Amino acid sequence: MEIIETLLNGMSIGSTYAMIALGYTMVYGIAKMLNFAHGDVIMVGGYMLFITMASALSNPIIGLIFAVVVCMILGITIEKIAYKPLRGASPLAVLITAIGVSYLLQSTAQMIFGSAPKMVILLDLGNIEFGGLKVPVYTLITLGCSVVIMLVLSLFVKYTKTGRAMIAVSEDKGAAQLMGINVNGIITITFAIGSALAAFAGFFMLLKSPSLSNTLGAMPGIKAFTAAVIGGIGSIPGAMLGGLLMGVVEAISFKIPVIAPYTDAIEFLILIVILLVRPSGILGRKRREKV
Amino acid sequence: MKKMLKRALAVMVVVVLALTMTACGAAKYTANNTEYVIGVSGPLTGPAAVYGVAVKNSAQMAIDEINAAGGLNGVNFKFIALDDQHDATKVAANYASLLEGGMQASLGTVTTAPGLEFSNLSVEDNVFFLTPSASGDDIPKNENGFQMCFADGNQGKVAAEYVKTLGLNSIGVFYKSDDPYSNGIYEQFKENLKGSDISVVETVFTGDASDFSTQISSLKECKFIFMPIYYQPAAIFMTQAKDTIAADAVYYGCDGFDGLAGQLDFSTIPQEISMLSHFDSNATEGAAAEFIKKYTEKYDAETLNQFGASAYDCVYAIYNAMKAAIKAGKEIPVTISASDLSDILKEQFTGEFTYSGVTGSDIKWQDNGYVSKGAIKYVLKEATK
Amino acid sequence: MANMFAKIKWKHFINYIVVAIAMIVFGVMSLTGALSSSTVYLLEKIAIAIILAVSLSVVVGFLGELSLGHAGFMCIGAYLGGKASLLLEPVMGDGFLTLIVSMIVGGAIAALCGAVIGLPALRLKGDYLAIVTLAFGEIVRSIFMNTKKESFGGSLGLETPRYDKDILFIIAFVFVLITLAVLQNLIRSKHGRAITSIRDNEIASKATGINVTKYKLIVFTISSFFAGIAGVLYSFSNYTVQSSKFSYNYSIEILVMVVLGGMGSINGSIIAATLITFLDVKLQTILTGDLAVLQDLFYALVLIILVIYNNAPALKGFRETHNLKVLLDRFRKHSPADRKDDEAKWDRVPTKISMDEVLSVDLQPQTTYTPDKPKKEGK
Repeated sequence: MEIIETLLNGMSIGSTYAMIALGYTMVYGIAKMLNFAHGDVIMVGGYMLFITMASALSNPIIGLIFAVVVCMILGITIEKIAYKPLRGASPLAVLITAIGVSYLLQSTAQMIFGSAPKMVILLDLGNIEFGGLKVPVYTLITLGCSVVIMLVLSLFVKYTKTGRAMIAVSEDKGAAQLMGINVNGIITITFAIGSALAAFAGFFMLLKSPSLSNTLGAMPGIKAFTAAVIGGIGSIPGAMLGGLLMGVVEAISFKIPVIAPYTDAIEFLILIVILLVRPSGILGRKRREKV
Repeated sequence: MKKMLKRALAVMVVVVLALTMTACGAAKYTANNTEYVIGVSGPLTGPAAVYGVAVKNSAQMAIDEINAAGGLNGVNFKFIALDDQHDATKVAANYASLLEGGMQASLGTVTTAPGLEFSNLSVEDNVFFLTPSASGDDIPKNENGFQMCFADGNQGKVAAEYVKTLGLNSIGVFYKSDDPYSNGIYEQFKENLKGSDISVVETVFTGDASDFSTQISSLKECKFIFMPIYYQPAAIFMTQAKDTIAADAVYYGCDGFDGLAGQLDFSTIPQEISMLSHFDSNATEGAAAEFIKKYTEKYDAETLNQFGASAYDCVYAIYNAMKAAIKAGKEIPVTISASDLSDILKEQFTGEFTYSGVTGSDIKWQDNGYVSKGAIKYVLKEATK
Repeated sequence: MANMFAKIKWKHFINYIVVAIAMIVFGVMSLTGALSSSTVYLLEKIAIAIILAVSLSVVVGFLGELSLGHAGFMCIGAYLGGKASLLLEPVMGDGFLTLIVSMIVGGAIAALCGAVIGLPALRLKGDYLAIVTLAFGEIVRSIFMNTKKESFGGSLGLETPRYDKDILFIIAFVFVLITLAVLQNLIRSKHGRAITSIRDNEIASKATGINVTKYKLIVFTISSFFAGIAGVLYSFSNYTVQSSKFSYNYSIEILVMVVLGGMGSINGSIIAATLITFLDVKLQTILTGDLAVLQDLFYALVLIILVIYNNAPALKGFRETHNLKVLLDRFRKHSPADRKDDEAKWDRVPTKISMDEVLSVDLQPQTTYTPDKPKKEGK
């Protein structure tokens, strides 16, 4: 019983990571860049929800739509202004710019909303009983939604024209362009999807824990990236698997008092071990390096 | 062109040096004081800002009152608060800046984490400090440091004694293992609970964690949960646990629970929330009620908490001690150095001096800087029946 | 004799001279009691920041790998050096000897950790290396955070003795000079060229027989060593070492110094470290409240703009016409005698002839083709 409960709790934590990791893996897989600012787009989504809830509308669904729209615009803007000029530059330059964008978003949010945490209560969903097990409803919803999003994304990438163009861009940008694919357009679409996923992640994070500050996305973002790497970066089911794995590890670690304080260290250690043993992650494909 | 770059480099370095020079001043900072200066370093921004702001407001309020009543023999007081963002590495710069601003006595730091650095810095120059809320056991370890709040170890001890009187077989604990405040209380709590046959279910979190489902399911059988943590994670925990943990359970915290009312809508939480405190923020009579009335007239009620009440008392305690010293024949000119004032105040605080104010009456200080006054268990919210 | 002096390239020593002058000036001021304690503290912080920035600059700017774990190595140095000084104090007193031994202990263990983590991690590329070093830093922090109070002070931090205020900043500046000497000589040696060639094209340098792993490991280890030294200095300049300081945010702060100073420029890193630390400390007490974040906002913007300006392929032409050099040229008297002959000659020689340029030249009878000056109006 206790094992099932711990696993469920792990899934609850992991499904949020999975949702964030899906966004990371999309962008990384196609634009081939680590979007360090992804976590902070989540935070912006959170503040959009906060604004809606504090306004006269005060409806979480409208808030979610608002957050998705704002985050998509934000994602596209970031891509156009900060990342697009650097296409073809060294990965180091792109990564440093992404770090800069992350800081820019965090400090802007602090300027506007202050650094004191805000409480955002979206919905009170209560618990559901399963044979003596009390399971919070938000756990089920988050888990369900992340599975649905994963499936939709997989199908989208496999069966639509845009999706297939994405795969082509991810394989070889130059060749894709020669085949008549609008590479810049595809990357923009990828960022829009990634940012929309970030807004969803922000929604589910606040649904679970109602406290909002300008560093909301920072640490979860890094852990989710870790999850995406563990699962195999660029792989959509891999992101899901990695996220859930991270969550379960976290839950088990918190369950054992002796190692509980070292939970973060354990998660990062797993990342290092996986990267050393299997750098392409669990479900990732090996990439060959070209001269 | 290399030459130009070199020249640019040289010019920039010279500029930096010149700017640095302006910071240099005389060694005796208090010589030009026209008011007595009291300083504090606290978190005015960041997650702990509610404490720093409360201290800043309340101490300013006390200073204004004293000045309005004529100050100390006609000399006014001045209060400086600097922001340390609950970060120990910012304290040294703040301390130096306060000292150069003419600080003669201090309220130390508002929170525990940066407190140790302040304590060590201030003993070097022998600057007296009476901290309203940095409750670490080691904070007043030097002879120039005193606390207005209960030390962490003491809070843990009092909480353990209280738990023993409840006659429970098993209690839960939820604490933050990388926080000195939380650790300090819990260690003493555990120590004092030894020997009794109460079993403890211990759960931990670290950093900015915000999903406590594992901890909650470990604690779900417990009827009494001791939470020596700050209000923000506590609010998240209570929101997530409200349906899982028994409705007749009790959450029991220490002074870190202050601020909870501003975060959490209590009507959504069925469980009882209580805290160990020296100040009742719902008091309707006595000095506490008077303080609440004055504070809420002047400032945002959301920042009303015992940190502020304690800071208000700290300012008055220093003022009263100075008054008592003058009565006893000591001379305190307005340009008195921090060190000389410190010797006078230390003698007062370790002597017969007592103080009655918002956070207790007949407050006395032990030689080691710890405060002796009565603690109250204060119920923030009754269990919803 | 005079000839010997003439041969010395002064531009290679300008930074030593500036640091040494600063050290002597402030040292004399400190002895005469003209320095306030906040200035002394600021100087210590600046020296530590310079050591950190310069040592990271070698990894990021010259080797071309991004490490986000610099604060982690500093953390190791601060804790272990601090602990060493605590243990040595009863035996050797609190003097210079203790300081030096603690420095060696802290630096060496940080270097060892750098080698241990570097050996496997440096197989990874770019983003992966960044995330692994970030993970390493967080692991170190988390371990020190949760130690027992008796061993490393636990969450309240390790209490370390503060070294004599009047002397520590001079020692710190001496270590700045040592750092500069070691790293600058490394960069200017043949090993340095091998290192920069790895940055420019790893596969090509492998093909020319450079042992890439060896050089990466050497740079990483040396850089960790100096980060450790900076950590020990930090523990001597503060009463408490709290691991919460050494989060990845601090690594990024150091990275900002390196990038703002200009990647691949040690002098730039020194200037940026000095300026940022100075502003940090001064603005902390001036900008209070949430306004203090203006500073971070400014850094973030400058970071983005600088990186795009320096790296964007589309801005190549813009870079060539709008840079510091052109700006400075405009301000100074443009007499040819001011310039050294070789500089004038070699400045304008293109290093790469682009294929487009060659193809567009339409060779006519009786014209000679000169690749340096392609005809502008080719028919």
